[in-house]
Amino acid sequence: MKRMFDFLSKILPTNIAFAHCDIPCGVYDPHNAQMAAHTVLRMTQLLIDVKVPEGDKVENIEYTKHHNEVARMVRVKEKHGELVEEELGTLENDYFKEEHYKKFPNLKKLIEKAVKLSIKTRQTIDMDGTQKMIDAIMEIAEIFYKTKDLVPVRISSGYPTGGEIVSHK
Amino acid sequence: MEPSLLNTQIVFASSAPFIFSKPKVGDIVVFKVDDRIYIKRVKEIKNQRFSLNGDNKKDSLDSKEIGWINKEDIIGKVIYKI
Repeated sequence: MKRMFDFLSKILPTNIAFAHCDIPCGVYDPHNAQMAAHTVLRMTQLLIDVKVPEGDKVENIEYTKHHNEVARMVRVKEKHGELVEEELGTLENDYFKEEHYKKFPNLKKLIEKAVKLSIKTRQTIDMDGTQKMIDAIMEIAEIFYKTKDLVPVRISSGYPTGGEIVSHK
Repeated sequence: MEPSLLNTQIVFASSAPFIFSKPKVGDIVVFKVDDRIYIKRVKEIKNQRFSLNGDNKKDSLDSKEIGWINKEDIIGKVIYKI
């Protein structure tokens, strides 16, 4: 068998396959997901509060400005919702290992919940859903720091959205 | 991919196993991303998409740039290691 494959390896076309896609950085942080989630919350707040031009004498340009403003907010909400999904995907697929999922049995469900909410909050204007997404991401962040033997702490976000984010001591 | 595969090791990969069945969790597969060929193990399958990781725990962190792969990007399954 080996001799046959040795022979085949000489006559068949060959390619180099890489096992590594880049330099293993080992740098992971749940902060980006939290910041992106707060941005989704902020855009949702602004979209709820946005004022539609009213009255008989409103010129077309006012409507155009209004649509432009809304379009930009929706774009940022969409972009940061995608960022939440991407950042959680990186933690799920590259940082968290089997032993983490065993030690924290709710971790998988928390990630799934947060990703689903990141999609729902892109599709809708949903303050409640966005807050639930932030809560789930904070729980994931707490688990993340615990896996690094760091003590997680909830601190004031300092963002216009208020609320908290998870950091560590 | 150590210890399953060593650096510079020659393997045979074929698309034949995937003619009648789909890649399964645990298969070592060769796949293409941006014209570069990679070799990794199927870790998870979700919605017809594949998450792939290396066996080397220390270095398997580096799959984050690849993410989820579609079946059409998988070239073949490793069927023999020399």
